[in-house]
Amino acid sequence: MSNLFSGINARLRGATAKHADKDKDSKPPASPTTKDGFLASPISVKKSKSSSNLVVSTKLPPLPTSPSLSQTISLSATGEEILASYRLPKPYPLWLNANYAKHIVKGNFMTLSARPKVVEQGEWIAHQVVEHWRNLWNFIQVVYAKEQDGKSICNINTCPKMSAGPNHSYTWLNSRYEPIELPAHEYMQLMQRWISGKIDDQKLFPTDPQTVSYAPNPSIANTTLLTGGDEWIGKRSGFPKDFASICQTIFLQMFRVYAHLYWAHFVDPFYHLNLEKQLNSCFCHFILTATTLDMLKPSALEPMQPLIDLWAANGTFPPDSKAYEYANLKAGNRLLQLAGLA
Amino acid sequence: MIMDNFEFAPAPPQRCPEAYGPRANNNQKRCFQLAQAFFKDGVRRARERNERQLDLERRLEDPAVGPRREQLWKLGGMSEAKYLRFLRTKEELSNYIPIKTIGKGYFGEVKLVRKKQDGKVYALKRLAKTEMVSHEQLPRVRAERDALAESDSEWVVKLYTTFQDSTSLYLLMEYLPGGDLMALLIKYQIFSEDITRFYAAEMIMAIEAIHNLGFIHRDIKPDNILIDREGHVKLADFGLSKGFSKSHDHSYYRELLQKPAPPNNKPANRNSVNLDEIALTVSNRAQINEWRRSRRLMAYSAVGTPDYIAPELFTGQGYSFEIDWWSLGAIIYECLVGWPPFASDNSYDTYRKIVNWRQTFFFPDDVYLHPNAAHLIRSLICDASSRLGSRGGAAEIKAHPFFAGVDFNSLRRIEAPFRPHLESDEDTSCFPVDELPQGEGFSNGPTNTNGTNGHQATASNFQEEEVTPEMCLPFIGYTFKRFEKTFM
Ligand SMILES: Nc1ncnc2c1ncn2[C@@H]1O[C@H](COP(=O)(O)OP(=O)(O)O)[C@@H](O)[C@H]1O
Ligand SMILES: [Mg+2]
Ligand SMILES: [Zn+2]
Repeated sequence: MSNLFSGINARLRGATAKHADKDKDSKPPASPTTKDGFLASPISVKKSKSSSNLVVSTKLPPLPTSPSLSQTISLSATGEEILASYRLPKPYPLWLNANYAKHIVKGNFMTLSARPKVVEQGEWIAHQVVEHWRNLWNFIQVVYAKEQDGKSICNINTCPKMSAGPNHSYTWLNSRYEPIELPAHEYMQLMQRWISGKIDDQKLFPTDPQTVSYAPNPSIANTTLLTGGDEWIGKRSGFPKDFASICQTIFLQMFRVYAHLYWAHFVDPFYHLNLEKQLNSCFCHFILTATTLDMLKPSALEPMQPLIDLWAANGTFPPDSKAYEYANLKAGNRLLQLAGLA
Repeated sequence: MIMDNFEFAPAPPQRCPEAYGPRANNNQKRCFQLAQAFFKDGVRRARERNERQLDLERRLEDPAVGPRREQLWKLGGMSEAKYLRFLRTKEELSNYIPIKTIGKGYFGEVKLVRKKQDGKVYALKRLAKTEMVSHEQLPRVRAERDALAESDSEWVVKLYTTFQDSTSLYLLMEYLPGGDLMALLIKYQIFSEDITRFYAAEMIMAIEAIHNLGFIHRDIKPDNILIDREGHVKLADFGLSKGFSKSHDHSYYRELLQKPAPPNNKPANRNSVNLDEIALTVSNRAQINEWRRSRRLMAYSAVGTPDYIAPELFTGQGYSFEIDWWSLGAIIYECLVGWPPFASDNSYDTYRKIVNWRQTFFFPDDVYLHPNAAHLIRSLICDASSRLGSRGGAAEIKAHPFFAGVDFNSLRRIEAPFRPHLESDEDTSCFPVDELPQGEGFSNGPTNTNGTNGHQATASNFQEEEVTPEMCLPFIGYTFKRFEKTFM
């Protein structure tokens, strides 16, 4: 059974891989060389137990939102079978127990990430990148900061690899664009430096009030139509051409860190430190935002797919959200059942 | 079906935060609070954003808007975008060019500054973090930030943003070039009844505005009543204000009362209540002049002047909104008489007089007050339970015969009695700039009352790791940014 489903998953991935292939030759975004001699290009993913090797696209391709495909999955399999296809360790991690997937906020998370119609898309993406980075940064610090004795909670012994469960580990590109494995602590250091470098770059994330724009309103007759040809997200507001693809990479990096925090640190330390609800709410908001803005592809979500399924099934994700669309309700309902909540 | 296969890993039997080091626990607190603050602010901003979008769409539907629709939409979008950029902008002191120091309290210092980005002038108030922590004034700074941030009233000084660095908290406000009511009282010593009526009426409106928000100001006094460029009143300095829902806190005052009387160069006065009670009569104008000279200095000192504070705040029996109406009474008295009702040459004696107001309150024989004015003052300087305003709020006071004929709702449109004459946007002629230390930057820490400390802020002893300033634990959630259509 599980083979059948990994086959379907592979097909789903195949659709995205096409775009990725196209961009394989294009150079990763220019990045500062770090002290360690690594070119800080955080853009490759290695899936240790899967043959498909994804390279994250640096362009902004339309994401596959094929409802028929996801319907195929949900029509032909039980929740249990789908869960089995995820090849999760057993017993399942605590964070998949719906009793521990709770939040510090009630209500519709989408109100926080819905773009006002007047606001230009690039401006909104920039806003969201910065907000989510500030949020995640606080969680990183908890596991990353060293105590007096020089030890951090996430260290080379607890996390020799930047991983998200047994099926996923992430690599960094060195100066020769070769993917290398790093301890999670070191990975997060490079990643923090890389993201801060981007966010602090005034050319990428301008804060000058003089260059702002707005989103044209098609229902107002006079509005000048977009000049065809060379268009990109954020162009009207002075964002550079590669802005959207860099933001995609930032969102992907943030996702990887969240995935690592869930898989490696949910109990130790977040549960012990009473932060698991905070983590859940920030991650939930992050997933809803990133998928709504097409900043994360469904294929990238894989290590966290069961939690996404769970949140779709228990009503945390509103039915009109992209995250809900990417979720598998049967798997989520099965998880609810197992937790005694369905 | 074999349920056993699908069990979840068990949660640890109990949470053990103590198993982690101090850094982790410190980061835990920060993370916990910031996540809370993020969603609280996020929800508020989203709600306001929605309202603005709906409002914009409503305005577009108005047929009278016609060809201006596109312009409206464009401006709406651009102001939202400017706000988003403002939210992304790192606020820091170096974004502002200091012009002059215009005000000073014990914890705070207020400077006229020019913002480099937009070239406009603002008033920037700085509060030293070390002082706030060591004096346990954190609830006070929170109160000020919350009251100002939540108000959107023309009667309250507008707060644009708050930010912090490792040593200080900053409040960026609109600059009110007319100075404060204390400066006017120092200049004119006494107001006519008409002029008094004008300021009293405006103060009622201002106090009512903050009461409607659920805040008690608790520190209404002439140096906290600011004058805008048209000569109208705005309320400032919410450092003591309290949201009504929060627990009442009189420990601050109790502590003050428990302090021994300050050393006095006139020791005879100290133990002699009776002497003080008759001190402020006509026969003793010299003492009044002494009091006048020192009143600014009093405002700079740690405790400030207690002259306008209601007795129930000292005694700890609990208090409510009507304490602000007592203060109003004391200010009206001062406007008409020339000094506040319980003036003494030291705060200790003032406290005692206020607590014993039944014995110590009187009108001087040689000052003529219209019976209506005297009656109004007596209805405010009195027991909390019978005080005007304690039942019917501001409306009760507005209905007093002293205000007969005043149209409260059009006050801000009438011409104010004193309009500042301003030469430029950085005119500080209404402020006691010569009395204040005029260092280039902000002075470091509280100054003593003779104000000799004016050098550049130096690195403080406030130790926080390599952490961005807004993450400093006790001050999380302090940072605030107002949406302002005309801001930039
Ligand atoms: N927005 C402002 N515009 C002009 N002057 C101000 C402003 N805010 C404060 N001041 C001046 O600075 C003085 C002290 O400010 P305040 O906020 O009352 O601080 P404190 O808590 O130290 O009393 C005020 O009495 C007033 O003269
Ligand atoms: Mg003051
Ligand atoms: Zn780790």
